[in-house]
Amino acid sequence: MLEARGLRKSFGALEATRDVSLALPEGARHAVVGPNGSGKTTLFNLLTGELRPDEGQVFLAGKDITALPPNARARAGLTRSFQKNNLFLDLTVRENLALALAIGERAGTVFWRRFERVPGLLARAEALAERVRLADVLGIPVRALPYGTQRQLEVGLALGIEPKVLLLDEPTAGMSAEETRAMTSLIAGLPREIAVLVIEHDMEVVFEIAERVTVLDYGRILAEGTPQEVRATEAVRRRYLGERAQ
Amino acid sequence: MDIADLATQSLNGLQFAMLLFLLAVGLSVVFGLMNFVNLAHGTLYMVGAFVGFSVATRTGSYWAALAAGPVAAALLGAAFYFLLLKRMQAAGPMKQVLVTFGLIFVGIDAVRWIWGEDSQSILAPTAFGESVQFLGLVYPSYRLFIIALGLAVALLLHLGLERTRLGAVVRAGVDDPVTAASLGINVDLAFFGVFCLGCALAGLGGVVAAPVLQVYPGMDVAILIPTLIVVVVGGPGRLSGAFWGALLIGMADTFGKVLIPDFSSFVIYAVMALVLLLRPSGLLAARHGS
Amino acid sequence: MIGDEDFRRHCVAAALLSAAILALVLSGYAGRDRLAEIAILAIFAMSLDVLVGFTGLVSLGHALFYGLGAYAMAAFATMLKLPAGLAIPLAVLVAALAAFLVGILAIRVRGVFFIMITLAFGQMGWAYFQRSRTFGGIGGISGIGQPDLDAIGLSLANPADMALIAVVAAALVYLALARVTASPFGRMLVAIHQNESRARALGLPVQSYKLAAFTLAGAVAGLAGVLAAERTNFVSPDLLVWTVSGEVLIMVIVGGLGTLVGPALGATIWVLLRDNLSALTPYWMLAMGLFFVAVVLFADEGLYGLTARIPWPKRRRPSDA
Repeated sequence: MLEARGLRKSFGALEATRDVSLALPEGARHAVVGPNGSGKTTLFNLLTGELRPDEGQVFLAGKDITALPPNARARAGLTRSFQKNNLFLDLTVRENLALALAIGERAGTVFWRRFERVPGLLARAEALAERVRLADVLGIPVRALPYGTQRQLEVGLALGIEPKVLLLDEPTAGMSAEETRAMTSLIAGLPREIAVLVIEHDMEVVFEIAERVTVLDYGRILAEGTPQEVRATEAVRRRYLGERAQ
Repeated sequence: MDIADLATQSLNGLQFAMLLFLLAVGLSVVFGLMNFVNLAHGTLYMVGAFVGFSVATRTGSYWAALAAGPVAAALLGAAFYFLLLKRMQAAGPMKQVLVTFGLIFVGIDAVRWIWGEDSQSILAPTAFGESVQFLGLVYPSYRLFIIALGLAVALLLHLGLERTRLGAVVRAGVDDPVTAASLGINVDLAFFGVFCLGCALAGLGGVVAAPVLQVYPGMDVAILIPTLIVVVVGGPGRLSGAFWGALLIGMADTFGKVLIPDFSSFVIYAVMALVLLLRPSGLLAARHGS
Repeated sequence: MIGDEDFRRHCVAAALLSAAILALVLSGYAGRDRLAEIAILAIFAMSLDVLVGFTGLVSLGHALFYGLGAYAMAAFATMLKLPAGLAIPLAVLVAALAAFLVGILAIRVRGVFFIMITLAFGQMGWAYFQRSRTFGGIGGISGIGQPDLDAIGLSLANPADMALIAVVAAALVYLALARVTASPFGRMLVAIHQNESRARALGLPVQSYKLAAFTLAGAVAGLAGVLAAERTNFVSPDLLVWTVSGEVLIMVIVGGLGTLVGPALGATIWVLLRDNLSALTPYWMLAMGLFFVAVVLFADEGLYGLTARIPWPKRRRPSDA
């Protein structure tokens, strides 16, 4: 579904991404792990089009999307959530989700009908809220929500455009243990039509949701395999898992 | 246009450029540090000129005016800073810009109220009262004084930026505010100092311009727009950007008036639009940028 | 939120319209002319609100399209002798087309740079009309002539009729823009204003929407310009100078960003303060400037926000049922 071939990206003398290749089949559950500064977020930005690679290509469903800007990639079915909450803060949860749905359906060319009266839009926003467990806070402005709830909406917005590939950038960052469990089960419960690529620091979360894991280190791939294989790799244990694996 | 005309116009262009530089440098560095544009910067220039005018009338001394104008502008700038800008940091740059936009109108009417509607002037100091002859040119010596003053200020600022501790903070602050703060430097205080220095230079510009241009309510807006253009063209946050931007706009404006008098006021806007389109963050920003 | 907010806006708009009708009936020659001016500036301010309040694009060159609409009207009427029925839509089209072309360039930059580039384009237009011999230079064009409205029993030379037409036009523009801004298209503009990068990440072609908003705002400003030319029977470069752009921005912000009726209220207050304060003191801009600063500092929703203090009846929303 999503494939990256030989991606390279440098910022001045710093090589942030060195020859990274990655393939996500339909319905994949794939995690990218690595220490801070290992190039995880740069890789995400290359995949979503916020950055252009110096070398290499990105394919979505077999089509080369390397030259497409982020909005065109999203239209083709690839979107992301953000590491820092990136929401429509002054609008309510219902409005946020309805906006994401409307963008996904390209409803913005309608300029005469009222937004709330687009057939089924609010009902679908409410159904989406149900899926990301936000049904209780539909009418609340996002700004007033607690951090963990905002993180759920972060995923909800991305789901709103019904993506084929969903990239989640540290979905549990800054969450309490309880919030992390809720988010993990939310991600685990995502429909299997969607391929999911997740950056995650919390190895317990990774082992629970990922079926494949890529370990990045200094911008290149250190190891790739099933969670069990990666866990067993000597280099990974030394470099990253460190004390946790011993 | 013969050689003598060309030389005269080049000097005129240089003189206007130096005036623009005095205004643009403060605006540009503050833009780079705090990410907002003080649209009331011209007001400080106008206040500097009017205070200079009052002092010159009372004392009869141009030099007293040249000292008083910058001080008045710096004090007013400090008041702006504490009463409004500092409190608005959380509100974001757009609100700060809008507030300073409102202050333009307040400034013009306050000046009309205090000093009246009439155009005033400050006499050039007697030392620079006449024209000088050199290389077959006759040129007002006061304008040469403006050029020299502008170049001197540019040199001093350059040395200050490169050689002093405050300069280091400012350079760090433009490139990376987080790092600057983590160096244990009182960034707020340094920014405040830079802001006041920029205001003082605007006030200086007002007094310096007074013998050449007139002193009147509304002179702030007349200079504000070319100054903003310099800042945009030069790219925010750079001393060198303000300098070369001022030179480009000063020359473009002067030669525009001579070569295409019908559409002279068009020229600087066209230059700015072109620069913004080719390099959306300023002509020189990319070359000197971080 | 959306439903109750709309109700309040329409109530304030209806109150404003009632006041206008009252003024139309009760006031004399000068009062009616002033009413026409208010209505025209209200249209101009509402057009800018689409950009500033809804899309978050702060323009300091909006008078360009106001002036272009007025000049186009004057040129079509005096030089080409087109009938008004053709000249008016063509003049609006000219403003829209100009906004489309300027917009393609201007939306490439953001934030403070957007303010600067719109200022530059506005001033380029002003400089052009000041020097253009075709369009009368500083003197502008006078004697535009007024369309023959005998068929419906009106004459634009009569301030009462001019005011009536301007007020009706303002009401229609309000209804149309309220509709458009409440539509999915309008909500996309709000999404861009709220969080441009997220809108883009979700797949919204942000630049196309910004360009559409810029063009729409330019077209409506052009309509205001057409009416302004008809009202004074005269156009000059003063219509395009940057202070006109600055003043209309003040009306929008003082009135209340992103509310449409707020900017109309702002235009009303602006003209009334200008005419009444300026009779009392020549320094009325000082008060206006301080008021503007206070609004920016303390009242996001401007004068319109004050109406929130009135205890409005709650309307039931279908989704609450």
